[in-house]
Amino acid sequence: MTAETMTRPIPIRRWKSVFEAYGQEIVILGVIVLLCIGVWLYNPRFLGANNFLSIFHSNAYIAIAAIGMSLVIISGNIDVSVGSLIGVLGTIAGTMAVNGYPIIFCWLVPILIGMAINAGVGFLVAYVKIPSIVVTLGMLSILKGGLISVTGGAWISNLPPAFMIAQFRLFGIPSSVYFMVVLTVLAALWMKYSVFGRTVYAIGGNPEAARVSGIRIQPSIVGVFTIHGMFAGIAAVLFATQLQVIQSTVPPNLELTVITASVVGGVSILGGTGTVIGSTLAAILFAAIGSSLVFLNVSAYWLRAVQGLMILATVLADMARRRRI
Amino acid sequence: MATMVMNRVLRHESILGVLLVAALFVLSAQSEHFWTADNLLNQGRLMAEVGLIALPMTFVIVTGGIDLSVGSIFGLSAILLGVFWQNMGMPLPVAMLAAILVGAVAGLGNGFIITRFKVPPLIATLATLALYRGLAEGISQARSVRGYPEWFFQLGQGEVLGVPTQLWLLIVCFAIAAFILGMTTFGRTTYAIGSNEVAARFSGLKVDRAKLLIYGASGLISGLAAVIFVSRVSTTRSDMGTGYELDVITAVVLGGTSIFGGRGTIIGTGLGLILMQALKNGLALSGVKGDGTIVVIGAVLIAAILVGNLLSRDGD
Amino acid sequence: MNNLLEVSGVSKSFGPVKVLKGISFDVRPGEVHALLGENGAGKSTLIKIVAGVILPDEGEVRLEGKAVRFSSPREAAAHGIATVYQELLLFPDLTVAENIYLGHAPKTRWGTLDWNAMRAGARALLDALDSPDLDVDTPVGKLSVANRQRVEIAKALSQNAKLVIMDEPTAALADADARKLMEVVKRLRDRGVGIIYVSHRLPEIFALADRVTVLRDGTYVGTRPIGEVSESDLVSMMVGRAIDHLFPKAETTPGETVLEVKNLCYRNVVKDISFTLRAGEIVGIAGLVGSGRTETALTIFGITPATSGEIRIDGKPVTISSPDDARRLKIAYVPEDRGLQGLIRPQTVRENVSLAILDRIAKAFVVDRSREGSLARQAIERFGIRTRGPEQRVKQLSGGNQQKVVLAKWVATEPRVLIMDEPTRGIDVGAKAEIHALMSRLAGQGLAVLMISSELPEVLGMSDRVLVMRGGRIVGEFDHKDATPDAVGAAMTAAKLGASLESAPPGLTGAAAS
Repeated sequence: MTAETMTRPIPIRRWKSVFEAYGQEIVILGVIVLLCIGVWLYNPRFLGANNFLSIFHSNAYIAIAAIGMSLVIISGNIDVSVGSLIGVLGTIAGTMAVNGYPIIFCWLVPILIGMAINAGVGFLVAYVKIPSIVVTLGMLSILKGGLISVTGGAWISNLPPAFMIAQFRLFGIPSSVYFMVVLTVLAALWMKYSVFGRTVYAIGGNPEAARVSGIRIQPSIVGVFTIHGMFAGIAAVLFATQLQVIQSTVPPNLELTVITASVVGGVSILGGTGTVIGSTLAAILFAAIGSSLVFLNVSAYWLRAVQGLMILATVLADMARRRRI
Repeated sequence: MATMVMNRVLRHESILGVLLVAALFVLSAQSEHFWTADNLLNQGRLMAEVGLIALPMTFVIVTGGIDLSVGSIFGLSAILLGVFWQNMGMPLPVAMLAAILVGAVAGLGNGFIITRFKVPPLIATLATLALYRGLAEGISQARSVRGYPEWFFQLGQGEVLGVPTQLWLLIVCFAIAAFILGMTTFGRTTYAIGSNEVAARFSGLKVDRAKLLIYGASGLISGLAAVIFVSRVSTTRSDMGTGYELDVITAVVLGGTSIFGGRGTIIGTGLGLILMQALKNGLALSGVKGDGTIVVIGAVLIAAILVGNLLSRDGD
Repeated sequence: MNNLLEVSGVSKSFGPVKVLKGISFDVRPGEVHALLGENGAGKSTLIKIVAGVILPDEGEVRLEGKAVRFSSPREAAAHGIATVYQELLLFPDLTVAENIYLGHAPKTRWGTLDWNAMRAGARALLDALDSPDLDVDTPVGKLSVANRQRVEIAKALSQNAKLVIMDEPTAALADADARKLMEVVKRLRDRGVGIIYVSHRLPEIFALADRVTVLRDGTYVGTRPIGEVSESDLVSMMVGRAIDHLFPKAETTPGETVLEVKNLCYRNVVKDISFTLRAGEIVGIAGLVGSGRTETALTIFGITPATSGEIRIDGKPVTISSPDDARRLKIAYVPEDRGLQGLIRPQTVRENVSLAILDRIAKAFVVDRSREGSLARQAIERFGIRTRGPEQRVKQLSGGNQQKVVLAKWVATEPRVLIMDEPTRGIDVGAKAEIHALMSRLAGQGLAVLMISSELPEVLGMSDRVLVMRGGRIVGEFDHKDATPDAVGAAMTAAKLGASLESAPPGLTGAAAS
């Protein structure tokens, strides 16, 4: 590259290529807006400040977990144990807080444990070559069963107020919302501008080419799972501090919700594409749908079916798009 | 010629057999309640549902696929049994058949998504896991159904010649499945698809049709297992079958079926199933509660594949 | 003159098979050095060693005079060796710019990726390759094959390569694109880059190369300056013996027309194909890679069913929408990619041989093991398969014996039409002769054989008639006596008879690009 080529003007990204790159995200945003308007017309209280904010507040942790999950799926793997992991880490956080450990440890130790556990998972996937579906299926049971065995299903209460980070407010908005936005933006930038971020896309997009290009796939996969563990840990801390008590179980099929957020957000289940912005928006969309059902007087028991339909529709559309390409 | 085949096939199974015998010894030493006819027959009763589903699951995994939705189909069939009988007033035998049929349709749905739209089985059945469970929850609205007639419980709680009814059913289905996989052209097709699907297609084998049948069977048997289960516990709830996929897949993988496809036998699955049930029983007898048990099953799953990886590196 | 690359005494074995036996040659900066040889001659293995993908067992590689031993492609790249492979190793969801710079992207002061520099650099490289129409922000998956190839070359350039290895670069390109690519290669050469150019296309080699090295069966045959050698010299260097001895095609009088294909089309790759096939004859289909021959076979066989046109068996029109249909109509296809499409490698000889007739050796769905066993034993004897027995795993057999297993599988279906796609690819010379003898025998027994081959000597020696395909169409038909290397070769490449590609008038080659 000579000096003259550096100064030559580069054509600005055309609108078309922006839409190609971010199409899915734009569509989700559109659907959210339409949904909100639609439900609001039916029941104006839907967009009331309290409800609106609470949608974000109580689901922020899902969006954050979806950031890590998106990374895993982009790399060509999957993790069905994240729900149980969040449960375990949240319980650890709460137990430490109740037992008087310094608050900062109560926040950081679960994150570190999450990273350690998932590093182990990553090791089994990358070096022992056990498919990620199987490792995480086993992990799911180990964590879920372990949690219930140890806690006996008891809820944790009497949490010290200084611990309740999710409930701190700044300008009236809970910190969980800030965490969600900031982490999503940081992660998106990192995925785009760091070498490791691009490596993850490469590994998921064409593992053979990645290997020949000199990318060391195995350590990268361990890294991906470890980072995923970190996000799971952060999500767990927020989950633990959302309410005055920590339930002994996480919402059923939490992992499915997190995967749905990633997949609907544009992360292709075949690996190689998608952004974390998409998964956060999809998490919000899903939360909005859940809330809408209440305001539309539809039984909340249909939520899971909606989830399944959303994944199916997104995956079918993805397959159709790829076959044409 | 036959001996070479037997050698290859039985190496994993013989190790499993030895393990099983060892486990039985340990367990009977540990608790005097273990080695009683009562207990053994009861264990047979308990493992029938997972055992039945493990049979078509063996076929699924041998083709290189996976079916995560079996637990959800189980739950959906269970719920619909109650709905068909109580809410829609069908005669109970008809309701039972209809519930099983729903399972078959759900399984065929999986097969359709996989063959027609070429969605990888992992994703397709993950999505239907949510969809079918969601339908079950939505339809049932978390209400449960009770009050089934007495004769209905013969299936799940009764005995024939002293052996639990569903255990007979399991044994019969086991024999049929072993026959199909080991001896018929369909079984060969299954192995071919798992070893090299492209070559199977290029050799004129009807790959898509085979897959449809296999996933359909998986759904149908899940429905059947659900009916038996309802008969055993006398009630229907929408969260039934949650987590069954773990048990089923563990039994199959423990039995020597490779998760990558192309290898595996029904005999192996049978041994894996018994070993797993023995493990659960042993844990229960030493006072470990249900939740502790699933920890062990999860660990066994991972360990089984690990060992399988190591074995296949020496052998072949 | 100092050599850019020197290879001396390089040998490599894979298990019991010695693939390279003491190869030595050299490449100078600013030269296009062609590497020629039949399939299985060892070209791929040699360039993989130079590119750092695998290590040689013996011998030495010197780059600019210094001995080097690369343990990874990345190391080789860092030393200035770039490779453009046949199976393009690109990331379809990433943009052109990103693909070019993957692994060595420009970074900003803070260590993050500098997208502006990446895009500007990519733009500059593409312009240097005369590709102003390629947009740096397009995902690579959306580009045509020819454009993807250009991205690969830009990738090589971006690494400041001193030596570029190109493995069959024009294999999948239409004529117009191939000529543009050759211009690009010339530009590279003029910049002082040394190029190892692996190709089957003799006219291209004559148009582009400065020197040519020929390999045969893993041994080095010779290096010649391009001006001192003719096409037939090269062919005999590649083949090693007079053509007639290799091909025992017996004279037969062809019988009834078995297969008739009329105006057959499949999307944009099979265009209006019409021909007939009679019992007892071998019809060879010649053409460059990408000319649509395999696609035509796959359409007849039902893998990619025809979108229009007609197929007739014994004069009656039939519909073939799956390989099962084809099989029932007694059409057999021995595929191009033996390992992926023809065999189930982990399974035994017995299981592979019976794969296509499972329903016929079964009684009420149960596979008759004893019939299967005797079928396998018969096949082993009839086809001369060198194996320990029917229970040996097919992956342990040599290429030639594996091919015999595939052939046996299909002959067991008692076909009337046998399509063989690259029947002797990757097979040693001895086994090649055996396969040819088998083909002759089968034709003599009344089969109608369609043979697709990229090896001109094989096509010319074995066929009663030769069809030539280019760009998805049939562009020539020759009787055995009229099928000379010049005539057939010219039809394949659309060059005027006797002239090299360079001097062909633009009108002629322009018409060929479709």
